Amino acid sequence: MKYTEILKENRQLGESLESSKYKISILSNIVAPQLNEILEYYLRKEKINACAKSGNYDNIVQDSSNCKEHNLVIIFWEAANLIEGLQYKANVMAQPEYDALMSKTKSEIDFVISNLKDNALVLFNKFSSMIFNSQTIKPNKFDDLCYTLNEHLKQKAQSNIKIVDIDKIIADVSVPKSIDTRYFYSSKALYTVDFYKRYVQYAKPIILSATGKTKKALIFDCDNALWKGIIGEDGFDKIEMSSKTGTGAIFEEVQNLALELNKKGILIGLCSKNNPGDVEEVLQNHPDMLIRNEHLTIKKVNWQDKVTNLREIANELNIGLDSLVFIDDSSFEVNYIKEQLPQVAVFQVPNQLHKYPSILRENMELFYTLSESQEDIKRSQMYKQREKREQEKGKFSNLDDYLKSLDLKLTIYVDNKKLIPRMSQMTQKTNQFNLTTRRYTEADIDKFVGADSYRVFAFDASDKFGSSGVTGLCIVRLSENKKCLIDTFLMSCRVIGRNLEFSFFDCVVETIKNMGIEQIEAGYYKTIKNNQVEDFYDRLGFQITKKTDNEKLYKLQCSQYKLKNISYIGVEHG
Amino acid sequence: MDIGSAQIDNTTTPDTLEQWDSLKHMSLVIALEEEFGVQFDEEEIVKMLSFPLIKETLSSKGVS
Repeated sequence: MKYTEILKENRQLGESLESSKYKISILSNIVAPQLNEILEYYLRKEKINACAKSGNYDNIVQDSSNCKEHNLVIIFWEAANLIEGLQYKANVMAQPEYDALMSKTKSEIDFVISNLKDNALVLFNKFSSMIFNSQTIKPNKFDDLCYTLNEHLKQKAQSNIKIVDIDKIIADVSVPKSIDTRYFYSSKALYTVDFYKRYVQYAKPIILSATGKTKKALIFDCDNALWKGIIGEDGFDKIEMSSKTGTGAIFEEVQNLALELNKKGILIGLCSKNNPGDVEEVLQNHPDMLIRNEHLTIKKVNWQDKVTNLREIANELNIGLDSLVFIDDSSFEVNYIKEQLPQVAVFQVPNQLHKYPSILRENMELFYTLSESQEDIKRSQMYKQREKREQEKGKFSNLDDYLKSLDLKLTIYVDNKKLIPRMSQMTQKTNQFNLTTRRYTEADIDKFVGADSYRVFAFDASDKFGSSGVTGLCIVRLSENKKCLIDTFLMSCRVIGRNLEFSFFDCVVETIKNMGIEQIEAGYYKTIKNNQVEDFYDRLGFQITKKTDNEKLYKLQCSQYKLKNISYIGVEHG
Repeated sequence: MDIGSAQIDNTTTPDTLEQWDSLKHMSLVIALEEEFGVQFDEEEIVKMLSFPLIKETLSSKGVS
């Protein structure tokens, strides 16, 4: 984000936030004007009504006695400016002079931290020589100086002082991009906007923790989030999550990171569109699975939409939606949740899988907590905020509105020879949204495509994020007396939950009606995997002609079929 | 600088506008560099003290 955009949005956020002000005092011996608004902006985005004021230039000691009212004090005590040019003077100073300076600075540090002992949170930057010494091979006196002061600080700092390792921030941004020497020599303004942005990102979890906004639960999708592959399609043996394979190693690391958090008391949960039995089998029996039931506080494995699931998770765990972090591989799900539940921190598994562990690591800091005793002591001083809970109770998730925004399209193919391999593959791999689970070879499909007595319908689905590919199949067998039978109706689990099956079925019915067919027969054959489609034909208005424990047979007059006519799904013929 | 654009004209300088102090000037320069993708040197920074001067310095760097 551009600096000017941050300034503009910061002003707007400041006008709209109603909660009481979170007062921040920035004490420094350098000039750091850009920090204020950047800090305010990122905190205001988290609904903290931050208001950051700078102390007087180079008056850290004096100003530290005027911070009683502030929720947060940030200290930018630049070693290089303890005296003018210390970054080079330190290396040539006479020893007595050096000792005197150290002694004076140490007493000043003691005085400052004593003045700040009642503040809820103090962020005190480490003394750093990195900016000036990143290319020196041997440590020099300036490095020693910083080291000595840091040791002193570590020893003396009381629990409300959090030492910020700015060397890490500088490493992230790079030395040249962190400093602006044009301003340093003229006005002692050392750091760049890029540095401040990164500083705020780094320190934000600490501040969020002090304001009671630490995330509490990490919820994972399963397929392609905890393991490579789709359990319902690829099967138990084909999913990967161990370092036996390169891709598996990534997921092994991800699961380990989750366990690391779990050890610290963070809640871990699942939210996945799958048959519960399939996921349970992996949790209990898969040799490579590291996250087991004992680590999971909650599981929502079902065919319900994920927004409803996440609301239920927050409810059942008795925490706010704003305490959840959710990871999913699907753009569809991620965007739906971002829209409907903006309080939930959502992350998408990156397409470049090798980046997944580092993205997770970065986001693990959302769970950062100050030590327990710290929070006990400061609970009374913790910044309280008026909570807006209407979004969490009783509002329905508006899936239809979201689907409308997706630009969903189906391309229908009839008896298409080119798709024979894919259509055959779908009959063999699709288990969940599959009414009859008949498995066909390419030769079988070839026969159906060529036969007059069969019609083979397939669809290719796409939305504004891209194409999902050929993901639906319907094989219709025509018989005499203007009747037909739906031999196969299936859909890849990739595209479940978007109502595509209804538009597809509309298309199939219209086509066969135009051929003069008057009655459709269909059947549902129960398997351990396809219970979600048990009532599919019922919902389409079919009448049941036979029902046993394992099957339901149906019929419907074409003239009685009510088209669903879903307006937001565009249909084309390929 | 927290003022409307209506209050700025070709004669506005740090001397006439109270809010335009050295710190704000720094922020202004940073914003201009980001917006136009240029880098000013120290001499240019201290020279750009009015709207016409800013325009002049930018065009000398190839910004139309």
